[in-house]
Amino acid sequence: MNDQSNSSECKKSEHFSRRTLLKGSLATGAGAAIPNWGGLFHSQSIASMAQKLGKRCILLWMNGGASQIDTFDMKPGKATAGPFREVQTKLPGYKVCEYLPKIAQQVDKLGIIRSMRTASPDHPDGIYHMHTCYKQSERMPHPELGAMIAKYLGQTDADLPSFVRMGPTGNAGSGYLGPRYEPFGIERNGNMPYFTSPYLPAANESRRNDLLRFMEAEHKKENSADAYESHRVAKERAWRLLKAKSLFDTTKEWPKHQELYGASDFGRGCFLARKLTEAGVHFVEIGQDNYDSHADNFVCHKANMQILDPAWSGLLIDLERTGQLQNTLVVWMGEVGRTPQINNRAGRDHFIRGWTIVLAGGGIKGGVVYGSTDADGRDVATNPVSEGDLFATIYTALGVNPRTKHFVGTRPIWATPEGSKPIKDLLL
Amino acid sequence: MKSTTANKSVNFEKAALLWSFTWDADWVSAVSFIGDKYIAAGNNLGEILLWELPNKPEPLIEITSEKSKPADKSERPLYSSPKPIRQMVGHSNIINRLLCAENRWLISASNDHTVKYWDIEAKPSGMAKHVLNARTIEDITRNKNSGRKPPPPLEAEVRTQDASKIIQGKEWIVGLSMSQDETTLVTGDDAGQVAIYDRKTGAEKKRWQVKGWAFAVAISPDLKQALVSERYPLVFDSGRHTAVKLWDVATSTVQYDLSKEFKDMQIASAAYSNDGKILALGRGGEGEGKIFLIDPATGKKLRELSPIHQYGVTDLCFHPDGKHLASTGRDTVVRIWNIAEGKMIKELGKPRGGQFKDWFHALSFSPDGTRIAVADMAGYIHLWEFR
Repeated sequence: MNDQSNSSECKKSEHFSRRTLLKGSLATGAGAAIPNWGGLFHSQSIASMAQKLGKRCILLWMNGGASQIDTFDMKPGKATAGPFREVQTKLPGYKVCEYLPKIAQQVDKLGIIRSMRTASPDHPDGIYHMHTCYKQSERMPHPELGAMIAKYLGQTDADLPSFVRMGPTGNAGSGYLGPRYEPFGIERNGNMPYFTSPYLPAANESRRNDLLRFMEAEHKKENSADAYESHRVAKERAWRLLKAKSLFDTTKEWPKHQELYGASDFGRGCFLARKLTEAGVHFVEIGQDNYDSHADNFVCHKANMQILDPAWSGLLIDLERTGQLQNTLVVWMGEVGRTPQINNRAGRDHFIRGWTIVLAGGGIKGGVVYGSTDADGRDVATNPVSEGDLFATIYTALGVNPRTKHFVGTRPIWATPEGSKPIKDLLL
Repeated sequence: MKSTTANKSVNFEKAALLWSFTWDADWVSAVSFIGDKYIAAGNNLGEILLWELPNKPEPLIEITSEKSKPADKSERPLYSSPKPIRQMVGHSNIINRLLCAENRWLISASNDHTVKYWDIEAKPSGMAKHVLNARTIEDITRNKNSGRKPPPPLEAEVRTQDASKIIQGKEWIVGLSMSQDETTLVTGDDAGQVAIYDRKTGAEKKRWQVKGWAFAVAISPDLKQALVSERYPLVFDSGRHTAVKLWDVATSTVQYDLSKEFKDMQIASAAYSNDGKILALGRGGEGEGKIFLIDPATGKKLRELSPIHQYGVTDLCFHPDGKHLASTGRDTVVRIWNIAEGKMIKELGKPRGGQFKDWFHALSFSPDGTRIAVADMAGYIHLWEFR
């Protein structure tokens, strides 16, 4: 019997821990900092305000690393092909995996990079590298993509966090940009951490907070240090978060959107991402797990794609329908690709010599397939793209100068490494 | 894999590896005896080859493949492998199961969404050439730093024949099983469709939907009950799902839901004993390869066999005598079990590889019960004889 059951991934120790994942949220809970939180909350003006905010980005993070050969760079008839078959896309002559039939109909919106050649082959270093475009081994803690977007596209007087993260994504953090740009972590169904649920009736909670404000105002007369002020501001932001909670609640809307996005946690997360970006959140990252298929790659990917396909295509359709797509860049990527060679566990291992990342929407030309791999998919054949090139492309698409310079002390650091070039063929 | 009545008394404790047929175009994924004289095997490319077993086999002179050289002499086959004589053409994806009816009809289930029938008495329609060690040659040639020299090609010319009957499905057909009386087929696919067919005509008699992907399937000798295991192989997502259920075929309703008993286990293989009083279940995947004996009349677990396969079970097959069970899995060993005592009485093959082993995919007993054939993903069909 051809038994290809049970996925087997890397050991837990090889992945970012749950504790790491939740670090940003716990910091929030402790009141130390409410990351990337803007100004006062005006519920009635969220939608209209969001329209003025310009570009946004949704990162669909394929945790563990999706297989390029089983999705967008198929090698039919080759020893590396595997059991999936191709399906024709809207782009003449270009085919994708049969288990991405809905995405095949959205290819006119996609800029597909089939020639990623990257430098970090494992999960912790790959997650860091593909979130920051810098190697993890550098001593300087670089900010991840979402933190950079929060800094450059977020507005300090906005009512919402600029960087929201859902599901299994890893967490490279805000690095030298500081805790203000740390991600705000929630569950993919929009559930917030338990500590955001008040345990007092609203009137009591309000009186309690007013009392605290009075005490802190009195305290401030004699103690004007930054640390006290920072703590006070964090508390004010936390209270605004509680008022904004309804935005994250998808309970009523989800049944109407479930068919479009597919009935899955990831699909629901994609819907919430669309809702949040529409409301003014500038960067939303949502993770889908199970891609680290060192064993039983094909059944794992088949199951994953059946969730990914409606969720991702539904997101693109919904963004277009609501007029957001032209201003919302959707990035599909993970930390590594997967080997062309199929191992003796029916799996594919980590691969960085020629893999695929897909961009869509804001600032990106649709219907473009950029770069290629060789006949068996064992290496890049044309137009290699590095982490820096990818980030330069993303930043450019979002209107951020990829050579933006920051100073950490007196040391200059750029948004992308020296020599990084945006992929002009993909940019509008 | 279904077996018929044995005519000979078999001593399982004395076994000899007669042949290891080389065929490494891709993983050998399925195998079946056709009568006592023919062996059919399928692979991940959708190819099916047929071998005729020689009455007077030639002693093996030398090992012909560089790949997976046996570690000691006891594992070397006694005889030189015959070449395949025929190819069944038409499948285009992994052959998941092969079985035989009336010692004449080969029936295959594939990821190409079809079940196909092949009449080995039909006249072949064409010719095809194969290099039986093509992958070994390609790998060595590509990896020039290995220091190995490619072996000479093992060329074979086969007659080809088309399928005589095709049952079209809509998804990977992973489960295929036949009733003891060879009148009925049951299939299960990754769309969660379970179907019952008249074996002779291929006419569909019943169909129902399960929640997950149908994985292992089996039908009881009295045709009244079907075992269907289910999976949805996500590890972390809330969409993961496994189930093991005994279904009333006539009403397409669940008789016994064993899912709690086998929580989180993907049951990859199932087989009813010849008298229908025992149902054997094998746990697949990379976890412990446990084998369970179930009372189909009550759904209760009778026994768990020990020792377990190191990794998941891939196939289970009752011996024609009805008293013994063979199992194999991802640890590249075959075990023969005495069902009444629940004891392993023979182990064939050896675990190989490093931390993760190759797989034996499938088993088939010869109708007379004296031989067992094994599909080896490394590109072999092994054939042991009990003496």
